[in-house]
Amino acid sequence: MSEHDESFAFQNFDTILRQVMAELGVSRMVTDYRIMADPDAPYFLISLRLGKARSSVKISDMAMVDPSPAGAKITITDEMWAPALLTRLWQEYGRDAVEQLTRFEIIVHGASAEDLESMELDPGEELKSKVLDAVWRIFPEGFKVRHNLVDDKVMTIIGTEHDLRDEWIKIAEDLHERMHHDEEGD
Amino acid sequence: MYEVLLFDGGVYKINELYELIEDVGGFVIQKTQVQVQITVTLAIPEEERPVIEAKTVELGGKLMDVPLAGTEIAVVAPTLGRHHMPHPTCDIAEQLRRAGAITVVMGLARGKGRRTSQISAEEKAIIEEYDAAVFVLGNFKDCILEHKVKLFEDLEVPVVVVCGPEIGSLPSCEGMVCGVGRKVERMRREEEIHKLEEVGSQVENVVRRKRQELDEDPLFVHPAEIKDRIAELEAVQRSLRPAPIVLHLDGLRVKIPYEEWKDQIADVEVYGRRLGDIATISNSRLGGSTLIRIKTRAEVESG
Repeated sequence: MSEHDESFAFQNFDTILRQVMAELGVSRMVTDYRIMADPDAPYFLISLRLGKARSSVKISDMAMVDPSPAGAKITITDEMWAPALLTRLWQEYGRDAVEQLTRFEIIVHGASAEDLESMELDPGEELKSKVLDAVWRIFPEGFKVRHNLVDDKVMTIIGTEHDLRDEWIKIAEDLHERMHHDEEGD
Repeated sequence: MYEVLLFDGGVYKINELYELIEDVGGFVIQKTQVQVQITVTLAIPEEERPVIEAKTVELGGKLMDVPLAGTEIAVVAPTLGRHHMPHPTCDIAEQLRRAGAITVVMGLARGKGRRTSQISAEEKAIIEEYDAAVFVLGNFKDCILEHKVKLFEDLEVPVVVVCGPEIGSLPSCEGMVCGVGRKVERMRREEEIHKLEEVGSQVENVVRRKRQELDEDPLFVHPAEIKDRIAELEAVQRSLRPAPIVLHLDGLRVKIPYEEWKDQIADVEVYGRRLGDIATISNSRLGGSTLIRIKTRAEVESG
């Protein structure tokens, strides 16, 4: 390990990761994270535990859908899904057809209530890419040699400048494994 | 000695201020007008300050000290990637601008990384053109002490280093501010504003020391005295750049092409002498600019 006291760096990385995640709106998706680094080696390691594996959600699970003269009316009951719902509706029907009356009410022109009820949202991929974006924003710029361990629950990324040694990959694998079992908050 | 001040007020009767500045033997360095508001950077002999202050009160404006006015400072980050930009690099540059400096933000082409971080001779030469350089470095002590030091170790201009971890002392730099590090948000909290002020005061110290050194072997003329004469050149008047003439501690940067205009610049008359005889005029590494470095009185008289 480095002979210097690097506590400032770890504190700072902790802060900037939190800020970047808040900015990208993924704070709630990441239930725990660890940052390890040895500037003397050098390697930089970041491991994030993602929230429950997201299965696709039907619109009927997070909103009420009623037929209306213009098409269909959606009343959102779980606002957390509102951005994903809007994105999905825009993709499917186009921005002109989606009219947002209030924070919770949306009219979709030319859509049938049955179609909407069975429509599925899958924000999992989008969230994963946002989490990755957060990682790239804080990952040291020069550490281009990277090794990723990614599954549904934990995402671990280690990077260095020149050769990635096996023992560092082992550290990453150990941490990856630990992140699966550790209880939240320890 | 000239004192550089900033007038902040309206355009109403502003010509009276200009006339007064001229009457007391001062110069207008820069004017920035936004609709009816105007800020004027001016240089006056220091004993004339009360007269200018009285005029400022009459015009309903404010007069501020700008300790860094008449300097051009480079704020250097290892790269222009989002890891270093825009915060805190731009916040620091803005802080220096508020103190009157003209600043340039610069990212190195291959400054990223730890061992791979490097600076080219060309980049060093560009930084040397400025009065001082501020290097904005990152979080890891090891990285700064072992590797980033080499970015500025050969520079002749004074360097102020801004970094994250607390470091007792760092070689090859004249000033240091610790506790900044990487940021992803603007520096607007109280302690961050204090840090910015600390950077400002470190740069002021560095500039003050450089001014004192220059005073020991004074320049033949103050750069501000040449400025007005150069401003009369046609190319300068046509120039659309916001500050076509920038003052340095020991000269000026004129933002017109060197090859085309070097002879006309050299022929400008200053107190009965050709500018070419009392200053070295050279091409700037920054495209389309000319650097003028004024010789000291001793150099001119012995030459």
